[in-house]
Amino acid sequence: MNNFSISSRSAQDVAVITPRGYINDMGAIRLEKTSEQFLGRGIRKLVVNFADVQFINTIGISIFTGIVQKTREYDSLLCFTNLKKIHCDIFDMVGLIKHVKVFSNEEEAITFLNGRG
Amino acid sequence: MHSMPFNTLPNSDYIGRHNELTNRYEKICQAGIGMTRSIMLAGMRGIGKTEFLKQLFGLLFWKQDRVAPFYYSVHDALLSVEAFSRTYLVQFLCQRLAFEKKEQALFSYEGMSLRDVSLLAEDRGASWVKTIIREYERAADPISALRVALEAPHQSILKTGIPVAILLDEFHRLKELSLGAAPDHRLVSLFDDPITRNKAPYIITGNTNEILEMPVAGLLEHVALKPLEYADALSLAQSLLERQQSKGAIPPLLVRRLGGNPLYLTCLCTKAGVTAQNTDRDFWNAYCEELIEGRLSGFWTSVFKNSFSNFSSRKIALSLCYKTYHSREPLSLEQIAESFEGTTAELETIVHGLYGAGFIEGAFGVMRPVEDLVLRDVIEALFQKEILAQPAHDLQQEFLDRLLPQKSDMTRFDLVLPMAKEAELVAAQCLDQIGKNLGFDQDTIGQLQIAVIESCINAIEHSGGAERKIYLSVIVEENRMEIGIESSGREFVVQQTGEPFGDREGMKTPGRGWGIKLMKRVADEVRFEKTARGMKTVLIKTFNKAMSGKKEEFKNRE
Repeated sequence: MNNFSISSRSAQDVAVITPRGYINDMGAIRLEKTSEQFLGRGIRKLVVNFADVQFINTIGISIFTGIVQKTREYDSLLCFTNLKKIHCDIFDMVGLIKHVKVFSNEEEAITFLNGRG
Repeated sequence: MHSMPFNTLPNSDYIGRHNELTNRYEKICQAGIGMTRSIMLAGMRGIGKTEFLKQLFGLLFWKQDRVAPFYYSVHDALLSVEAFSRTYLVQFLCQRLAFEKKEQALFSYEGMSLRDVSLLAEDRGASWVKTIIREYERAADPISALRVALEAPHQSILKTGIPVAILLDEFHRLKELSLGAAPDHRLVSLFDDPITRNKAPYIITGNTNEILEMPVAGLLEHVALKPLEYADALSLAQSLLERQQSKGAIPPLLVRRLGGNPLYLTCLCTKAGVTAQNTDRDFWNAYCEELIEGRLSGFWTSVFKNSFSNFSSRKIALSLCYKTYHSREPLSLEQIAESFEGTTAELETIVHGLYGAGFIEGAFGVMRPVEDLVLRDVIEALFQKEILAQPAHDLQQEFLDRLLPQKSDMTRFDLVLPMAKEAELVAAQCLDQIGKNLGFDQDTIGQLQIAVIESCINAIEHSGGAERKIYLSVIVEENRMEIGIESSGREFVVQQTGEPFGDREGMKTPGRGWGIKLMKRVADEVRFEKTARGMKTVLIKTFNKAMSGKKEEFKNRE
């Protein structure tokens, strides 16, 4: 089964990661690796676009906490966009939402990040 | 308020028998006139005959001084003539002395010898007691000693002028009374004289069918202890549930099925009472569990096993019983014999055993089912489980489908998933389609999908059984959706708190326990039930009333 895929792109100092489908443990690990690759290349502004994410399970979310910690270690900015209400609720429930910036779409997030030095 | 000398229900919890109890009490109080007849208290198993005797004893002991009560329960282990006559005499004399000054302490007669009783009598100046004991000890043989013991109540009446009411429980066991190795059913006829004595009325109870087969039954007036009236059955159930701090009322159809039998009501309420709040479906579920693996099933299975001690006769007996229950007409022995491979004598023994134990009716060889619907359900379950080797969990569902009144607007979906990689997504997608079909709010369905995913992951993670399957059920009634996720897994929550098991360190690991937290956040109610199959998580969600219009629209399109 292949219920998860991921694509990414970067321009200047902003990287946009777009996961698709079901984020379980395996999906979240791939997401973590992708974000680590950007951070390793010196990109300090990350956007994760959830528009095509269908489901996230709590094992996947626990791995998300690692991504959040890593971006904080790199003194980076992490933005989530296009979050469905249920996903937003889950991130809120586990206390993750206060560590990220949430925007309704990618453009808003990029505008915000471009305004930051 | 006095406590009962025996282990009985508090008077306030003894529901629905007030009139019968008062009536019998008043009749016994008139024993002094010599007009009170000995009776056999008849009734199906579990109807409360023993409790009735004990309650009656309590009333007679504490509330009046005119008639001395004597309660004796025949014990399987004390069926040699010597052991029976000695314990019978010791207990009678102790209870009779206790009655004089209402001394409850004298009911502790365990290990008490006749010499101890004699000393006690001397202390109280009851010389008549010593006379009886002397006569007993001087008896030439065990039969003569038994006669003395059985006549002791009558002798006490002659000496003191106070009538005695003899309350004999488990009387049918006396057919096993033995003088030597083998039981001699004629010995029980020694009761014939004492039972007909003036001023010493007997109330005899035990297994009704077996007592009816004993000649002594012909000397007794038969009084039936009837099932509880519907309202009393309801009150008893309510009282039992309240005692366990459980809410909800047993559905009327189920109350009627239990047939006013206090034992059945108690089994069901004890089972259902574990849950704080029960719906109709929960009560039916509890009933089905009781039928298959509960106390109720255990009770009848034990009666069955005691009646048929070897495996081959047990199997034949169960099959015959099942056949009788499924026959449209009563079956004669000849009809049964057509499909029976053994001898006529063997068949007769088995049929007699079934009749004696109360599984079938037909004292004259034409067999028909008992009217007890619960017993019929138990036998059905036992047959399916033991003879046809049907798994308990399938049986549970089958019974539930058959018994649970189907509401016209109830829709049910069942899905069996293998514990394959990401099988939880299949469950979630099905739920999405069910939501769409029934016109439910998609946001709420989305939330439930996440909860179902978590529940399936738990089922996979904690699956300890060999059966690598997840059983998903979705039941929709009006605006209420109930999702069941069941597997052969072990328990993963603490029943009392609904919190996941785990050591403290483990719980610090990110993600541990979030799934259950999420389910509770999304659903209106989350329950974790131990089932015949293993564990079941139940998620209940009531949807916004505004959505029902869509539902109707969908239903009309059907």
